[in-house]
Amino acid sequence: MGKSRGPVWVIAEQIDCRILEVSFQLIGHGRKLAAALDTTVEAILLGHKMEEHPRQLFAAGGDRVYLGNDPELAVYQPEIYTEIIEKLAKERQPEIILVGSTAMGRELAPLIAARLDTGLTAHCIDLVIDGNKVLESRIPAYGGLLSIICPDRRPQMATIATGVFPNPEPDESRTGEIIPIEVPKKIPRRIQTLEVVREEPEGMDLESATIVVAGGAGAGDPAGWRKIAGLAEVLNAALGATRPAVDEGWAALETMIGQSGKMVSPELYIGVGLSGELQHMVGISGAKIMVAINNDAKSPVFEQVDYGIVDDYREFVPVFIEKIKEYQGKLKTC
Amino acid sequence: MFPKIPQFPIRHRVYTMFKIVVCVKAVPDPKEACNIKIDPATKTLMRCDVPMVLNPLDKYALEAALQFKAEFDAHISVLSMGPPEAGNIVKECLALGADRGFLLSDRAFAGADAFATAYTLAKGIEKNGPYDVVFCGMASSDGSTEWVGPEIATFLKIPVVTRIKEIVEYNGQWWTVKAELENGYRLVRVQIPAVFTVTRELNTPRRLSFSGIIKARKKEITRWGIQELGVPEESVGLKGSPSMVSTIASMDSRRKVEILEGKREEKAEQLVQRLVNAGVI
Amino acid sequence: MIDFTFTEEQEMFRKAAQEFAETQVAPNVPEMEKTGKASQDLVKAMAEAEMMALTIPEEYGGLGLGYTARFIALEEISKVSVAAGMMLQVFALGIEPILKFGSDAQKKNFLPGLATGERLASTAVTETTGGSDPTGIRSTYKKDGEDYILNGRKCFITNSHIADTITVLAKDDENPKAFSTFILEKGMEGFKATHEENKVGMRGCNTGELAYENCRVPKENLIGVEGKGLGVALAAIGDVGRGGMVACALGLQAACLEVSVKFANERILYGKPISRLQTIQNKLADMKIDLEAGRLLGYKAASMQDKGERSSNEFAVAKYFTTEAAQRAAKMASDIHGGYGCMEEYAVSRYMRDSFVLGPSAGTSDIMKVIIARWTLS
Repeated sequence: MGKSRGPVWVIAEQIDCRILEVSFQLIGHGRKLAAALDTTVEAILLGHKMEEHPRQLFAAGGDRVYLGNDPELAVYQPEIYTEIIEKLAKERQPEIILVGSTAMGRELAPLIAARLDTGLTAHCIDLVIDGNKVLESRIPAYGGLLSIICPDRRPQMATIATGVFPNPEPDESRTGEIIPIEVPKKIPRRIQTLEVVREEPEGMDLESATIVVAGGAGAGDPAGWRKIAGLAEVLNAALGATRPAVDEGWAALETMIGQSGKMVSPELYIGVGLSGELQHMVGISGAKIMVAINNDAKSPVFEQVDYGIVDDYREFVPVFIEKIKEYQGKLKTC
Repeated sequence: MFPKIPQFPIRHRVYTMFKIVVCVKAVPDPKEACNIKIDPATKTLMRCDVPMVLNPLDKYALEAALQFKAEFDAHISVLSMGPPEAGNIVKECLALGADRGFLLSDRAFAGADAFATAYTLAKGIEKNGPYDVVFCGMASSDGSTEWVGPEIATFLKIPVVTRIKEIVEYNGQWWTVKAELENGYRLVRVQIPAVFTVTRELNTPRRLSFSGIIKARKKEITRWGIQELGVPEESVGLKGSPSMVSTIASMDSRRKVEILEGKREEKAEQLVQRLVNAGVI
Repeated sequence: MIDFTFTEEQEMFRKAAQEFAETQVAPNVPEMEKTGKASQDLVKAMAEAEMMALTIPEEYGGLGLGYTARFIALEEISKVSVAAGMMLQVFALGIEPILKFGSDAQKKNFLPGLATGERLASTAVTETTGGSDPTGIRSTYKKDGEDYILNGRKCFITNSHIADTITVLAKDDENPKAFSTFILEKGMEGFKATHEENKVGMRGCNTGELAYENCRVPKENLIGVEGKGLGVALAAIGDVGRGGMVACALGLQAACLEVSVKFANERILYGKPISRLQTIQNKLADMKIDLEAGRLLGYKAASMQDKGERSSNEFAVAKYFTTEAAQRAAKMASDIHGGYGCMEEYAVSRYMRDSFVLGPSAGTSDIMKVIIARWTLS
């Protein structure tokens, strides 16, 4: 019925020959979008020594993989990656392109969008196909949920953070077509990634933690922040932060939870000295119990949690820690 | 007092002063940002009540330019797309040490998404004349997409490196920089002219000084509208934006809140009890 | 009449001062409170931020920005720390006699160092026998050849121990009706800062006593005409000294209002924030009224000052009004905080202590009324 639509594309990302989880998550969700559009899901994978990897993408739900397998593609090279994807997109006319909201994704996606003269939505927490078969990218903003659409131009593009969509159940029986991509020779090479240096992240991994303690602007100063860190320690929790806390320099950018930071799904979330701004709260999904400690009874955070403590955290947290330690002590003795 | 001659000729030109462009944006003061609401009619941000300030990350971009200027000498132009009220942030950049300011302001530019914003800024940069480097903040505190820097680079047909945390080497036409990754960084070598978007790791922005404010009296700010840029209406503002807001919904909160009461010790005990019962600690 | 808006440039001055106050003044406050001593780091930071150069003309190394800019800077700094504001305002007070009445040689000699903050200034008039009544001072000067010999003591002098140049008012040894002002420099033989006060408020602003015994002062250090020094001292205190107090008081009022609003919005009683209660709202309204009125009085006088007009009477009105208002504001803020207002960790207890030091500084409220009455009756 009507013109057949181009495929749903996922720009898969690999680091050190490992495909990132977000790529699988986007393929998984991409299947739903493709079903609504009566089209297929395709992935683009660029790297080196990638022979075995398309298999994983098929298992996740991809129907076709464009594979660039060349030493020059081993690490992210902006101009080359952009050129490859742009050319391919103009040939194949995808309906939608999804990119993981990683450091690479957040550079590559706008480069592609600008080349293809199309729109790009950031920080999506959901993607649906609306009644007009148009992609609705949903983002949280200013107390509401916005739906962004790109009605006229194609492809429709969006970046999504890891953890927004679930990991799809791999179906090893699935197969698909692999189309090899060549590295274009005649493009300007004005920029080159010389090397990628990994640094060990400090502290616990937020995304996999069962308990997350997050601090916000209400911490007030580094001494206060340390109190909050103390609470995380006694609970063996990961310590996260809101944007204001990062801006003040109390916490590193990598520990920021929220729309433009990390997505977490702990069993227990405790927010200390934060106001429950949407941009932060959307970073917390599926927490079993949420707690807030804030000295402002009118704070919006108290509408979004299970248990609220209206108190000055500087006074409350030490007492709270005492009680937790008491409880932990009891556990050891029985 | 002669300016220090940079150590490198640029392209085929004989020595001319190194030209830096810094793109800046006026944003609602992030400290009061919680008061901002969306206008349900136009579906764009209502910014009236909160004071507009220089986007925090743009200060780092300007600081990068100022530090280059202190070492090698350069001419710094500041460009901003915004309403006439945004002129004060351009003035502020001049007071901090930039040489020239441009305000791209026209009703036609309003309602622009990142794409149209980048296009307009790119046109402004081109109109300003030859340039060697463009610095931008990595993202703005309100839109926060991170798209404008890379899209400007695409429209100008020059390379871009995002999330710069360190400039390792200026070597003639090749700069080596560290670009932040999730855990670590990329070491990148790039040929200028190029766009660099910066993070807070890069430097510590200087404060406004009284003498800087005095010096800014003599510096020019030029306003360019759609006529001056010579761009078609369909390419800018709301009309030139591929993306648009279709609906606004409110977020439901699905939790039943219990505010614990009593003395501090009692509250703490109750809380521990609740969490134990729920099996989360 | 007048345009009541600040210029774009003045808004930027305010911003610069705010940023300075938040990043450079605030961190020093706890130490200042604890020791009561002036912070060397803060003085250095002020010098770097060109705070001492505001009222000094460009030809002498200053910024020539005038008194409104100075007022703006003092207001913002005082909001964070009245002690810091007071210290800075007295630097300008020490500079003023040289600026307005000094000879070209004196200006060339002293102003550049004062502009960079390399040298710090103060003005000393008050003695145990006369503060409110400056003619009651007992310090004397006696001509000796080309020089003068000064004898006497000063008390309650701000910046007594940190100032390098102090403008001192003394009486002619032989003619009790003649007064002269001299620039005394740190290190002059026979001149020293003696006792340092331990104030309960404005801690971190150095207040102390000076003593000069047979101190030889060269004729180059006499300001203006011999015997006409009273006018010099009173002009400086009346315009710059009083003006500074107004800005300090306004800064304190703004701080009191801010913490009161914050506390009132957070403190829950009877199931709602106390900011919903009328008695609290009355206090907030009172503070707001005083602040708005005080600002108009202060900035009007400052704009007269910038035009070169005498503004001591206008500043007397403003000084009386704002320093009294600041004391009321601090009390109201403390009341709003209830028990918490007595606790050291709440800034409002400091505001209480700072507020009543504002009263007697640069002329008591009662003296202000005398001056205003004189003006009214003239």
